[in-house]
Amino acid sequence: MGDLVSNLSLGFGVALSLQNLGLAFLGCLVGTLIGVLPGVGPIATIAMLLPITFGLDPVGALIMLAGIYYGAQYGGSTTAILVNIPGEATSVVTTLDGHQMARQGRAGVALGIAAIGSFFAGTVATIVIAALGAPLTRLALIFGPAEYFSLMVMGLVFAVVLARGSILKAIAMILVGVLLSTVGLDLETGEERMTLGLPFLIDGIDFAVLAMGVFGIAEILRNLDHTETRDVVRQAIGRLLPNRDDFRQSYKPVLRGTLIGATLGILPGNGAVLGPFASYTVEKKLAKDSSRFGRGAIEGVAGPESANNAGAQTSFIPLLTLGIPPNAVMALMVGAMTIHGIVPGPQVMTRNPELFWGMIASMWVGNLMLLIINLPLVGMWVRLLKVPYHLMFPAILMFCCIGIYSINSLPTDVMFIGFFGIVGYMLIKFGFEPAPMLLGFVLGKLLEENLRRALILSRGSLETFIDRPVSGVLLLVAVALLVVALLPSIRKGRDEVFTE
Amino acid sequence: MSMSQGGGRDRRGLVRSPQNLAAGLSLVFLAALALWLTRGLSQGHLNAMGPGMLPDWLAYGVGLCGLALLVAAFVKDGEPLEAWSLRGPLFVVVAILAFAVTIRPFSFGPISIPGLGMIVAGPLAIIIGGYAAPEAQLRPLLVLAFGLTPFCMVLFGDLLNLPIPIFPQSLAGLMPDGWSQKTILRVLAALMAVVAVVIHFAGGRRKDGRDGKIDVATQPEEI
Repeated sequence: MGDLVSNLSLGFGVALSLQNLGLAFLGCLVGTLIGVLPGVGPIATIAMLLPITFGLDPVGALIMLAGIYYGAQYGGSTTAILVNIPGEATSVVTTLDGHQMARQGRAGVALGIAAIGSFFAGTVATIVIAALGAPLTRLALIFGPAEYFSLMVMGLVFAVVLARGSILKAIAMILVGVLLSTVGLDLETGEERMTLGLPFLIDGIDFAVLAMGVFGIAEILRNLDHTETRDVVRQAIGRLLPNRDDFRQSYKPVLRGTLIGATLGILPGNGAVLGPFASYTVEKKLAKDSSRFGRGAIEGVAGPESANNAGAQTSFIPLLTLGIPPNAVMALMVGAMTIHGIVPGPQVMTRNPELFWGMIASMWVGNLMLLIINLPLVGMWVRLLKVPYHLMFPAILMFCCIGIYSINSLPTDVMFIGFFGIVGYMLIKFGFEPAPMLLGFVLGKLLEENLRRALILSRGSLETFIDRPVSGVLLLVAVALLVVALLPSIRKGRDEVFTE
Repeated sequence: MSMSQGGGRDRRGLVRSPQNLAAGLSLVFLAALALWLTRGLSQGHLNAMGPGMLPDWLAYGVGLCGLALLVAAFVKDGEPLEAWSLRGPLFVVVAILAFAVTIRPFSFGPISIPGLGMIVAGPLAIIIGGYAAPEAQLRPLLVLAFGLTPFCMVLFGDLLNLPIPIFPQSLAGLMPDGWSQKTILRVLAALMAVVAVVIHFAGGRRKDGRDGKIDVATQPEEI
């Protein structure tokens, strides 16, 4: 306990310096600015804004990136409530009741409770991370290559189970993602693999390029097919602060949402996505009158939004302690850390304690910033929403180009976002979901490295993955998850969760 | 889920799910491509895996998934293929390519383009890309291009000091001696902003279609 306090005070010492406070503020602001644009999710936002952190010192850069991440998340919720367009998968649930509230002239209250719930969830999640960080890091030290491999396999299986639509297609996407990650120089022999003799493929495909193509450009292409003319937020926003009744109705959902979100967020394989869905289902089940849901029930905003933010934050845990990014956003964080010369993993906490604890403290600061800047600025975000899409997407397009060019100063990277944009567009048309592919790609290199290492250690015996107890349990969980997901009755339930 | 409302009950012919057929074919093609590309790499053994082993396994996996989808396409009813638009992808890709080849000196075979920097690449990307939307009009796009580019020039080139080319170096020779790169950047940005304002107000202000309705991107449930 004493450790926790001293660590956190070290962290707050770093995060509360004037420069870092400014960076957190700036990050939240630009993150929300881009994230609020309909059709731009957190992944594209972070990839676009990655370059603006290059000139900073590592601590400042990561603090700013974390700010951008929270800002993008909150921006997505704003769009969901005001225009009924979820910026990303996790705010889909918010559209259900949030937008209904907006239609009833209670948009302000919906935004307010979302911000307050998120802030509370963020505070709890920060403490959870600080408390779990140290023990989990020790756990990481007993992990060998076999355990890492099994953990990642479990994460990928989890991603398959969580993906919407056909399970077969999700598996295929994971495999394609891992396959794409093998392009480039082989780690051990130095032989070129699938590079087509092209020099810029020797280092492999850049993650930011793939993410920007599949999530930035492909989204633009898809949106161009799906634009429609309609009214945008004609209603008044209304008062922002929820009144006593609203609080009475929503404090329990916030508590439950936080608990659900924080727990699911820790799981590898993007468990955070499930948080809002789970929270919404729980609230609906617990409600005295469940017919209010879908017609502007404040619990339907408070719970999922808290779960969303708690999950967004605790998903830092696998990254910071084990060095395994649980989702695409965290993979971008890996990219950012690597650019600043930090290899994420258990050693970060011991080697860069300021960075580790500073970042954790700045998460809380970032959440506070969001509360402070977003509520007064709602009017400005609303104006942004009134920009017609045919003028917005060219701007997004240019930002994507500039952003990706400035990462490596390579024109070929820019061309590649066009290529992957087309690929992503085709995937969407063929009914594939790009998110599992990205996760497969992210984990691919680590997966192969640990697989090969484990097999060398075991002299080529595959039994090592089952014989070692931790690894065996992880694989067992993975198999169980897959079997459960394939059972017809569960599959029906899963579809229901996602269609609600 | 409302995504299945559009039908998929198309029962003519053998193919019962065109979407799955296309998906399966593309996976099989990808697997074949990967296997062909890794044909020269050694497989190694389990205790010393060669560079080719994992990609090959993965390719087989992808191929199997593809075959399964192909079979499913003939056995199970499923989604039809959505209509494809050519306009969007075409203009967006051309815009991206235009940005890529003009941002810095580029040569490909006999063609060589001097580095023109963001001052040219940015507006090119916006204007060409803008035509991907059927509602595109030149004037608003010009205003956007000349208004947003100086903002980016100042943000990325001046404030953030990123090593991104801003303007063609030949332009620097035309400027008065003693002007630093930063000064030129700021002057050019100011000029562009003025141009944007002029275009915006030139040709009369037509406040047409201002009934509060705009086009927005809608999100399907699958994403």
